[in-house]
Amino acid sequence: MKKFIIKSGIYIVLILLIIEIIVRVFHLYTEDPPRFIDEYGVEKRVPGNTGYTVFGNRNQSYSRFSINESGFNSHREFNPTNDKCEIAIIGDSFIEGFHQDFDDSTGKKLEDKLGNCEVYEYGYSGYDLANQMHLIHAYKEQFDLIDEVVIYLNYDSDLDRGVYEPNYDRIKMLKSTPFKIRDNIKILAYGSKIGILEPLKRLVSGKAFEEPENGYQTNEIETTDDEKEKALDIQKLSNFKSLVKLYGFNKSKTSFLLDSRKTSKRFLEYCRNNGINYIDFADNLKKSKKATTLIYDWHWNNHGRDIIASTIADYMKAKKEKVSK
Amino acid sequence: MLYWFVFKKNLKFQNLLVIVASYVFYGWWDWRFLFLIAFSTFLDFYVGQKIYKYLDDKKKAKYWLWLSVACNVGLLGFFKYYNFFVDSFIDMFSAFGYEIKSTWTLRIILPVGISFYTFQTMSYSFDIYYKKLKPTDNFISFAAFVAFFPQLVAGPIERASNLLNQINNKRVFKYEQAVSGLKLILWGFFKKLVIADSLAPIVDDIFANYSNYPASTLILGVCLFSFQVYGDFSGYTDIAIGTAKLFGIELMSNFKFPNFSRNIAEYWQRWHISLSTWFRHYLYIPMGGSRVSKLKSVRNIVVIFLVSGLWHGANWTFVIWGAIHALLYIPVFLMGRNRLYADNVIAQNTWLPNPKEIIQVIITFLLVTFSRIFFRSPSISDAFDYINQIINNFTYESYVHPMGYRMLDFYILIAMFTVYEYLIRKDERNPFKFKYPLVRLLIYALVILSMLLFYDDGVNRSFIYFQF
Repeated sequence: MKKFIIKSGIYIVLILLIIEIIVRVFHLYTEDPPRFIDEYGVEKRVPGNTGYTVFGNRNQSYSRFSINESGFNSHREFNPTNDKCEIAIIGDSFIEGFHQDFDDSTGKKLEDKLGNCEVYEYGYSGYDLANQMHLIHAYKEQFDLIDEVVIYLNYDSDLDRGVYEPNYDRIKMLKSTPFKIRDNIKILAYGSKIGILEPLKRLVSGKAFEEPENGYQTNEIETTDDEKEKALDIQKLSNFKSLVKLYGFNKSKTSFLLDSRKTSKRFLEYCRNNGINYIDFADNLKKSKKATTLIYDWHWNNHGRDIIASTIADYMKAKKEKVSK
Repeated sequence: MLYWFVFKKNLKFQNLLVIVASYVFYGWWDWRFLFLIAFSTFLDFYVGQKIYKYLDDKKKAKYWLWLSVACNVGLLGFFKYYNFFVDSFIDMFSAFGYEIKSTWTLRIILPVGISFYTFQTMSYSFDIYYKKLKPTDNFISFAAFVAFFPQLVAGPIERASNLLNQINNKRVFKYEQAVSGLKLILWGFFKKLVIADSLAPIVDDIFANYSNYPASTLILGVCLFSFQVYGDFSGYTDIAIGTAKLFGIELMSNFKFPNFSRNIAEYWQRWHISLSTWFRHYLYIPMGGSRVSKLKSVRNIVVIFLVSGLWHGANWTFVIWGAIHALLYIPVFLMGRNRLYADNVIAQNTWLPNPKEIIQVIITFLLVTFSRIFFRSPSISDAFDYINQIINNFTYESYVHPMGYRMLDFYILIAMFTVYEYLIRKDERNPFKFKYPLVRLLIYALVILSMLLFYDDGVNRSFIYFQF
């Protein structure tokens, strides 16, 4: 029995070691450049980091990232001036673009299409409108020099709060020892990425023993979907107004980038009635005969990014023409 | 640890621990159904004593045997087949123009593994009745035999002469047995997680949307289902046999590489062996087996396969599946080729199979796979529509994975799995037979890595045979 336990232990360690080597050699794990909150309370990545992000169990998406001096994944540094044309695109993981090489991003494609503008991508996974508006406010001097600002708005998840609070807890958690261990032992980083550690996490946190939610009937009066949607729209609109009141909103140079299929009609109507511009890419994505998202992930693929860049470029050109007339 | 360190010297405590572990294991799903297992245990323990007592009085012994059969089949009938028979009855009447408004069907939960443990307890009564076994007077051992958790919910369906004897006797920890158990568990997990679970989304997609797919995709779907159901069920069996080995108990083999069968008779000697053995011992032979006239033997074969089909589930699709196998088996039986491959495997004394064997294996695989259209389809009409679609839309189109994964990965996986199974085809109890420890270590690491490479947390991981 002793021999069995000792040999099993040795085998487990050796097997894990071999898998760790294979995971490292074939870069099955993904890298997550470290995050921090700067002196203005803006959440961003630590400048100077380069590496590879990997999605899928079997390296189905593999791309390079490069964090610039401003703390964002981009092929260029952000140096706005009065002399040249600059466009800022602010958004979450869709703009951060870890699913594609940093030098083939939506911003780079937009630059190529416009020819005479620098595009600054302020993308960060998890950014909502509060983060985005706070960023513009915090770097006001820089943004005053930028000619156009495009804010990517995911209506479902970006309007859930009306006040910005930097998430120090998350940064602290990511810097904690268990997360450092996870990031350094690549088999753990890989296991965490593919979700194999979830059952273990649920077991440790006790969630595995919890009864599923709503496992019983209640006599609560149920609201209809329309009523729920209306209540949600009112809440989101109120959050939007609160952010605008707090940080201001330059209507002349700021536009939302959104998918009208996934955005409330009430919100779109509000934008139209109040002179808030938006760039709707829904039709262009819908018209595409080729897939516009990654097959194992909902983020845009190369073709999708190309369509987004074209949509923004057309909008910018039309706006410029309108102004010059 | 408790089993081997604390209770090592006390068989009674070891068996009690097995009972507690087994009841906790089963009760985790639904504790209310523990009463069914307990009832079955008490009943057959008592009936076994009575049958033995009246062995010289055939009439009384038979009476007790029938009591066991009636109660066990009654439980099975109520929980598994009640609604099926009510619905079939109503359908039959409506076919003759009599409409019956059904108020008789009940919302019944099907207890996990009920078909397995009721058959196992019945085998105990049968063996005593046929004087192949003396009843045990140790209730704890008997309860451990009925509820032994590794094989409680999906077999192998053990005969008391094998499992109960081991439970009744003192077990000694053997290093080789434990190592062999761990190897089987690893191989079982590979078959379940890598083969069965990675194919599940593809098979589910094709069977759910069969009317939109061309023949090429539908053929692919049912072929992959063959691998899925094999990986799922034989994977579970390997885990069960391996776990039992860790407790010092040897369970019978349930699968012996059925995908390399050269005819349908060999297939049934290699697929779900414990069920085929059960039916042969307790139904086929008592009915006369093959020692009666050819006509009666054919009748016996048909009965066995129809009952075996119905055993799988309360649906006519399983009955048709059984009927197809009966139709495929009868010619082999009539030609006297049903025991031809009982003692050897494909390429028994050579590295590679000869062309005749290859053709035989492919034909058997395709026939078995065809029958699985009925096994997998939710209804008979769906199964026939599936076949119609293959015939009427006989075109080729490359298939796109429902989650967008590259299909080539799965084709390579299946090809490698088949080749590996071919290499180990002579010993189903030892999937990792490598001389050098380093090679063994590398293979273990690759097997575990492949589980990670094909892991998908969105897949429903329940075992297919749990529903039976």
